[in-house]
Amino acid sequence: MDHPHTHSPNPRELQMARRLCWHCQSEVSGEYFCDRCAKVQPVSKETDYFTCFGFPRRLTIDQSKLEAKFYELSRAFHPDFYQSKSEREQTISLGNSATLNSAYRTLRDPIQRAEYLLDLDAGAIKEIRNSPPADLFEEILELQDTLNEYRAADRTSAIWQQLRAKLQAEQLTLEERKQDMEASLQQLFTDWDALQDRGDSTSQARTERDPLLMRMREILSNRTYVKSIVNDLVATIG
Amino acid sequence: MAYSEKVVDHFNNPRNMGSFKKDEEGIGTGMVGAPECGDVMKLQIKVQNDMIVDAKFKTFGCGSAIASSSLATEWLKGKTIQEAQKIKNTDIVQELNLPPVKIHCSVLAEDAIKAALADYQKKADGPATDAK
Repeated sequence: MDHPHTHSPNPRELQMARRLCWHCQSEVSGEYFCDRCAKVQPVSKETDYFTCFGFPRRLTIDQSKLEAKFYELSRAFHPDFYQSKSEREQTISLGNSATLNSAYRTLRDPIQRAEYLLDLDAGAIKEIRNSPPADLFEEILELQDTLNEYRAADRTSAIWQQLRAKLQAEQLTLEERKQDMEASLQQLFTDWDALQDRGDSTSQARTERDPLLMRMREILSNRTYVKSIVNDLVATIG
Repeated sequence: MAYSEKVVDHFNNPRNMGSFKKDEEGIGTGMVGAPECGDVMKLQIKVQNDMIVDAKFKTFGCGSAIASSSLATEWLKGKTIQEAQKIKNTDIVQELNLPPVKIHCSVLAEDAIKAALADYQKKADGPATDAK
């Protein structure tokens, strides 16, 4: 049975709901400008990036809506428009612009968005350690040896050509694998959102949630490893 | 951000780079990664009579990660299993003078040491647990 008092509302969600205008002390609800005196309000550090943009906390986001909202708020907070305003308002405009930029950078990238949201909703997801993918690690370390050989080889030699061809083939394979991982992640994101939409806090929902989290964590990590060796490959063979 | 001299030295002249065959007698292999930055570290120890007689590493990652694992292998050689357990990431941070943003590299090296020791123990205890 659920005990209501154990479901204390998240402070991040409450934060925007009840706040007083720094200037006229009237209640500001959710908007960035006071209804009464129209002064700009600071985005609290406690506000999560989704709330900043007025989006629900979901892994799938409409990119064009996000972009539109970003431009709208960028204009609203732009320091250029605050040059003739009070010092306090100038400071708020700068702070809000900085927060908005970080929020946009994080949310527009599906991977960063996932890392961010899972940190918010699932505690530090980075703490969830999967057993390391030993095969992938061996592969990466072997590839690194080949890269070193290639770097040391004489550019006019046949071995250089062979190594180069080998590395190019590896790069293609790894890039494909990265894409496969991203497709799997996309599916997991959809599943995760569906679970959130159900708003179900039963133990049944929790048993669905944990494997999803683990799986996302695993693919997100493996993708980082693959990405980092691909970057090295691209930087070396160009 | 500039690397400390010691990091540069380990990076340019890594000690004990390479690997042992995993199934060789007395070898413990630790394979760890940092999912945040994509670094991968493999650290191996060779144990004879409870003493680490040799250690090798391979690291894919930044200069600090390479230096941390290189230093770890140097420290491991000549230590007993019990002494090796006591190596802490903070010792590595101190020795290499790692900046706060690179502390995770030393954590990775400590994890690799622990994983290698655990793998050695598991192999050493292996036949007994398999028999049940």
